[in-house]
Amino acid sequence: MQKLAKFAGTALLAVGLSAAGLGTAQAQWQPSGPIKLIIAFAAGGGADTIARATAEEIEKRKGWSILPEQVTGKGGLNAAVALAKEPADGTAIAMIVTETLGYNRVAAGNPVALEDFTALTTVAGFQMGIVAKAEKGWTSFAEVIEAAKGGQAIRFGTMSPKLSDLAYLLGEANAVAFNTVQVRGGKAVMNGVQAGDMDLGFMAGIQAKGVASGDLVNLASAMSVPLAQSPDAATMSAYGVDFNADGYFAFVAPAGLSDDARTALSEAIIEVVSDPSTKAGGIIAKAFAGAKTISGAEFDTLLSSASNGAQGLLSAASE
Amino acid sequence: MGFWEHLWLGVLTVFTVGPAFEIFGIPISITLLMIVAGFCIGIIVGATPGLAGPMAMAIALPILISIFGVKQDALLPVLGFLIGIMKGATIGGAVPAILFNTPGTPDALLTTFDGYPMAKRGKARKALKAAHFASASGDTFSDLVLFTSAPFLAIMVERFLDLPEKTGLIILSLSFIAAVVGRSAAKGLISAGLGLLVAYIGKGEDFYPRLSLGQEALADGFPVVTAVLGVLILGEVFKGLEDLLRSGPQARDLSQAEASADNRFGWADVRACWPYIRSSALIGTAIGALPGIGSTLAATLGYASGRRSHARKNPEQARFGSGRIEGVAATEAANSAVSGANLIPVLSLGIPGNAAAVFLILAMDSIGGFNPGPSVFKLSGGVTGEGVNPELVVVFGIFTAMMVANALNWSLGGLFMRSVGVMARIPKHLLLPVILLLTLTAIYVQLTSMAGVYFAIGFGFLGYFMRRIDMSVLPFVIAFILGRNLEDTARQAFAATGGDALFLLHSPIALVFILVSVAVVAMAFWRSEAAAPPESHHEPKTGK
Repeated sequence: MQKLAKFAGTALLAVGLSAAGLGTAQAQWQPSGPIKLIIAFAAGGGADTIARATAEEIEKRKGWSILPEQVTGKGGLNAAVALAKEPADGTAIAMIVTETLGYNRVAAGNPVALEDFTALTTVAGFQMGIVAKAEKGWTSFAEVIEAAKGGQAIRFGTMSPKLSDLAYLLGEANAVAFNTVQVRGGKAVMNGVQAGDMDLGFMAGIQAKGVASGDLVNLASAMSVPLAQSPDAATMSAYGVDFNADGYFAFVAPAGLSDDARTALSEAIIEVVSDPSTKAGGIIAKAFAGAKTISGAEFDTLLSSASNGAQGLLSAASE
Repeated sequence: MGFWEHLWLGVLTVFTVGPAFEIFGIPISITLLMIVAGFCIGIIVGATPGLAGPMAMAIALPILISIFGVKQDALLPVLGFLIGIMKGATIGGAVPAILFNTPGTPDALLTTFDGYPMAKRGKARKALKAAHFASASGDTFSDLVLFTSAPFLAIMVERFLDLPEKTGLIILSLSFIAAVVGRSAAKGLISAGLGLLVAYIGKGEDFYPRLSLGQEALADGFPVVTAVLGVLILGEVFKGLEDLLRSGPQARDLSQAEASADNRFGWADVRACWPYIRSSALIGTAIGALPGIGSTLAATLGYASGRRSHARKNPEQARFGSGRIEGVAATEAANSAVSGANLIPVLSLGIPGNAAAVFLILAMDSIGGFNPGPSVFKLSGGVTGEGVNPELVVVFGIFTAMMVANALNWSLGGLFMRSVGVMARIPKHLLLPVILLLTLTAIYVQLTSMAGVYFAIGFGFLGYFMRRIDMSVLPFVIAFILGRNLEDTARQAFAATGGDALFLLHSPIALVFILVSVAVVAMAFWRSEAAAPPESHHEPKTGK
């Protein structure tokens, strides 16, 4: 994974260099002032910690000044709307999830457009699992369905409307109904499951430590591929749902960002998150099975395909 | 990582993180420095009639945040400063009460009853020493209760309360605050209702902003700092300015009697005061742990109980109110014992009980990384490092900061408080404009937008009108802070019970909470119907 990240970083650099045609100009891009970092995640959660730790490390390495600012709510759309209004000179970036510009944007009726943003880089892919406390005794999602069929009321914790839709579809496909409890942020799902307020829930990577210690169990993978940590847990398609919760934590900037600023910012971020010896890189390595840095044109493609997929899920869940 | 490692880490963070400078080769951490600074400012503020601890906390918070930023390591220095103010103001309030018959903070009103007669007899220093001793004792006791009970309360909440019960508990706290704070339960309820209404603008689970009238500035609701500072501080300033306009600047009688010979506060005095300090500390702590009632009622109850037991045990002596040192001690122990215990609901439930707690929650909220509530007391569950729960480390850091402030109180507090009598000479017509300017500046510094300043002024007028019609503003502020929490928990409880709209009535514990809420409000109505309650039941606008 790391090699891949390094390769991606190098490739990006090469693309950047050849695009500008000058070897040195964009390497020296400097922000004209402090960079505002809009964080779309609840303070104190995993994603917030990564955003802040990344900012601190970039400050240290590049000498830039980065001011983190929480703009939470509406599935990251508040942050996206706020970012779209900022100047496109590299003094404002945001950390969001790709879901914000995909499902959430479509579901909200497009308060912003994809064209309002310059994609910088993803930093980590969700390791989205369906997780329960080990003491529940479940080892797979099939056993949850059995329990629900046996008449047990099951509380399913989610942290976004998209995941709530998926929880609904999982129930529908298996002829059971879950009580879907939507909370703010993965940490709230984690706390809810730990405290017994929920029986199981979606967690995007925050569960890694608990799973490793045996307190938590990945019952299923909510992604198109198996989880790195629990490769034996089946994906949702085994339970009759063909959608997935693939997604990334990512940095974006307002539309119209110059290429050298885009390259410099992306590189600075990639350099930090790909280095497991940094705090941010360390968390990503542990919780998300390593950095996943998709940037440039490839990231643009990723975003537009996420938007296209969103419509399908929306209509399936509202049938 | 276990309990002791978290505790040790918490202590270490206070003493070692971010050394500001060195004294004789010993590095002094920034948190330590901020606690000292906050404590001294707190005493000065407390000793200034017209200023109170929460006011200083309100103005300091946005400025501190703009200095320290919203990084993790800003949390303890900022909280340390605020805790220092909170503790300093409690002892500072007694100074003008004793010297000039003018309470520096609302809860020091009863200190004037015995403190000022003592001062007139030339025993001002002795009264100040008694006030300090009682204050520091009450405060320390209250902190110890906090340290031991908050974690257990949190664990009980986690173990026994499910989502419907948590919803019921928040409703109970809000009804309790609304019913007991002001003179009129109906006005308290309206105040809390208004707070909820404002809290729900722009928020909500939908992707569409709610109640924003299509205004983009309202899409994410009113910034917390504008509503809280506007209603609490600007409203008070506007009312003060109007009072000044009506009555003109008033000269206070600031003459002091000559000191008499015996101004020592010796063992005999400690022994005489101790029983009163003990029972007042218990009363203050119990009151502090309940949301909404605050230090003024604690002082009243502590004084009243002290007066009763003194009259019973020593019928031959002069009664409280004639300049008895025990009277000073009973009041000061009670109002100071509130400040530790009021963090019990803050840390274990995330519910602020009074204005000082509101600003501590606001600080945690603005800086982030610490979400007060039961989950902070878990021994694991953090997202970084090897099994460290960073929130628990912060809790122990806060406890350490409180102990440091206590140590300061015992060591320097007495000396310092006896030198701030001069603050009572600051005229109100100079003080109010300065507060106004500082508050608006503080709001602009944090939000860097004029919209925020306009919002705050608007809320200032709201606070002013609420005060004019004698409606307590505290329920508004606390409801505003708790509004989102209430909605989230209620939504989750509704979803978790499979869409049961009557979830509050179907769980026995939640039902009890709801019945008690109704009873509290009903009793408050009955009380205000039956008789006008005594003056002291009214929590003054910026009460602690």
